[in-house]
Amino acid sequence: MDPEVLAGFAAGDPDAVRAVYGAYGRLMYTVAYKVLGDQGLAEEATQQAFVRAWRAASRYDPTRELGPWLAAIARRAAIDVHRQEARGGHRSLDDADPGDPALVSLPPSVDQVYDVWEVRRAIDALDPADAELIRLQHFEELTHTQIAERLGIPVGTVKSRSFRAHRRLAELLGHLRGDPTKPSAPPRRKTG
Amino acid sequence: MSDDDRIEYLAGEPVGALDPAERADLDELRTLLADPSVWAEPGPGLAGSIAAAVAGAAADAAPGGPVPVEVARRRRIRRPRVAAAVAGVAAAAAVAIGLAVGLGGGSQSLQYQAALAGTGLAPAATAQVTLTQTLSGWRVTLQGRGLPRLDNGFYYEAWLKSPGGILVPIGTFNEPASVTLWSGVPPTQYPDITITRQRADGNPASSGQRVLTGVAHPAR
Repeated sequence: MDPEVLAGFAAGDPDAVRAVYGAYGRLMYTVAYKVLGDQGLAEEATQQAFVRAWRAASRYDPTRELGPWLAAIARRAAIDVHRQEARGGHRSLDDADPGDPALVSLPPSVDQVYDVWEVRRAIDALDPADAELIRLQHFEELTHTQIAERLGIPVGTVKSRSFRAHRRLAELLGHLRGDPTKPSAPPRRKTG
Repeated sequence: MSDDDRIEYLAGEPVGALDPAERADLDELRTLLADPSVWAEPGPGLAGSIAAAVAGAAADAAPGGPVPVEVARRRRIRRPRVAAAVAGVAAAAAVAIGLAVGLGGGSQSLQYQAALAGTGLAPAATAQVTLTQTLSGWRVTLQGRGLPRLDNGFYYEAWLKSPGGILVPIGTFNEPASVTLWSGVPPTQYPDITITRQRADGNPASSGQRVLTGVAHPAR
């Protein structure tokens, strides 16, 4: 990220805040959602994380990558929101959503949230149409035929685009051995 | 196992024998690709609310607390930029100015808006909220849909919340279709809006039964 933007962020400059949000907001939200599993709470945590990052910006070491620093802040903020909710909520267990992360004892680890961060970052690097195809296939669990019907394109096109999209994704995440003469993808962190 | 085999497996295609370690690695990635958090999208107002929250924090950090807009404007013009810390305060004031002038628009009142979404308790509910700054405080109008009338010992209560978790009640009502409430705290510093379902049991605290949530952002 441009050092001037970082300096502006540290100073609270609204344009710089928006620039940092544009570059990392979506990823920080992803981390917060991973911890909280709720859109509203994840937005709250992302907002708190940005305020914390702004407060800590003067201590940020610009020689280090900004992403992991922000991911750690987002995770911490999300855990704090989770704890606030746990303390402040008066709902009975009967009202609670079984998927509510408040019913889960431990928040995701640093490695777990960073894995989600990396996958989301790789998806952001895809062509949007390819990203949508990946989403339909893995998140909505649609078959190639169903995706073809949904998108109104031939099944063969879905298959070829799926292969291309997964190849790009695997390259970005370091899942291919590849040709050693070519530049290699960054090594993928191992989850803990 | 070739790269093409790995891609085919990742894409869910049948492939031949797989090394267990590679299969586990690819399965892990497939699990991540199905993770809802990877695909969750923040609301469109989040960027604006974050800018407002940072502005509010910056204003709070300034000596003497939040800086009145007009005073901030004068200070910013006169203040020499001598140090980064001082510049930070000036920028904080600039944020406040930007929000007030750029969004309020000259003599128009400063306005914030929020699109509230239903929670798991009321998934079909929605509401549009407009917050308008007046001399008396912030006038909050809410037009809700998809929520039943509550009475006979039950009611709705609206709240604003700061990024630090401070919860401020801004009024109670029965019929959510068209409501006017008043807030003594600004959405610049209390951007989160929640509507809870309450029981008239003498306990003034939030029941925690949130039916609508959203984040206020500067009106366009």
